Amino acid sequence: MESEVLGVDSGVITVAHELKAPLCLLRQFALSLEFERDISKVSERMVATSERALRQVNDLVKVARLADALFEMEPVNPRRVCDEVIVELDSLFRFNRRSVRVDYRNRERLVVGNRDLLYSVIYNFCLNAMNYGGEELPSEVFVRDVRGGGVRVGVRDFGPAIPAKTWREIKDGFVKKPTEIAMRPGSSGLGLYIAAKFIGHMRGRFGLVRHRDGTSFYVDLLPSRQMSLL
Amino acid sequence: MSVVFAVDDDGEWLGYYERLLGESYDVELFQDGVAVMERTAEVVPDVMILDVLLTGPTGFSVLNEMQSHEDLASVPVIVVSGVSVKEDLTEYGVVKVFDKGEMRPEELLGAVRACDGQRKN
Repeated sequence: MESEVLGVDSGVITVAHELKAPLCLLRQFALSLEFERDISKVSERMVATSERALRQVNDLVKVARLADALFEMEPVNPRRVCDEVIVELDSLFRFNRRSVRVDYRNRERLVVGNRDLLYSVIYNFCLNAMNYGGEELPSEVFVRDVRGGGVRVGVRDFGPAIPAKTWREIKDGFVKKPTEIAMRPGSSGLGLYIAAKFIGHMRGRFGLVRHRDGTSFYVDLLPSRQMSLL
Repeated sequence: MSVVFAVDDDGEWLGYYERLLGESYDVELFQDGVAVMERTAEVVPDVMILDVLLTGPTGFSVLNEMQSHEDLASVPVIVVSGVSVKEDLTEYGVVKVFDKGEMRPEELLGAVRACDGQRKN
């Protein structure tokens, strides 16, 4: 209510809140250096936290510039993109006492997409899974062929199930603001909002599956017949 | 060694608490309100550090739940949150409220020490 009076979009507040979290953490790490014996470990955490925040900012800039045609469609190897995301998120998963595994079963090797955008989609799916997955079971990054010739790239978590209403909203493409797809308690939905925007730009299909013990978020992309990048 | 429960849905914050307090206290970490309440059936902490926005029940629900248990009602709680908490929560056992963006490590250490000291006296 207050934000509407001030003319501030609720999405902006959501973004500001999301970006506040890593900044607060970085400040704490910096202030606590004097109490630390092993500064290299703190430094490693600071790097991981700041990289996560930077990626969020970069993704938001990309969302704003999608219309500028900076992200052209190209043949992309989804397995390779997934592998790169996992490498980047490795330390963050460890710090959060989480783990991730892969399950690649696709025969179609290339998809039509944009490497940067697909990277961000998988990255945001992974962060979502990291936040909502448990310690016991690893999140799973998967690539599979789907009937009709597409390739499905997604991430499955073993967290709390999402409400049916949210599932329907995403299925119906109702992803206009981060707060409108606040997935589960404590989530702003910003990462999924970003993913939805990028998937739309790649002409992909954003979907999710409700499991009894978690959720899979995925994107279906068209296969590319251009084999030169294999 | 006194037991400190830290509850935050952000695993990085939990890691921070562990590093800051782990040498002086037996720190147990929880990412949601359900897990911490289950644990309190086995162990009553000397101090609890609690975030407000959690996955599942919020920090306020945890405070309510704690007040309904005789042995938990007197556990001092330090709220550390990224959202502004303006309510007076002293009736819920909250002895200090920190904004994540303004708190300093020595302030948190001092608050935990003060709570622990009072509980022992």
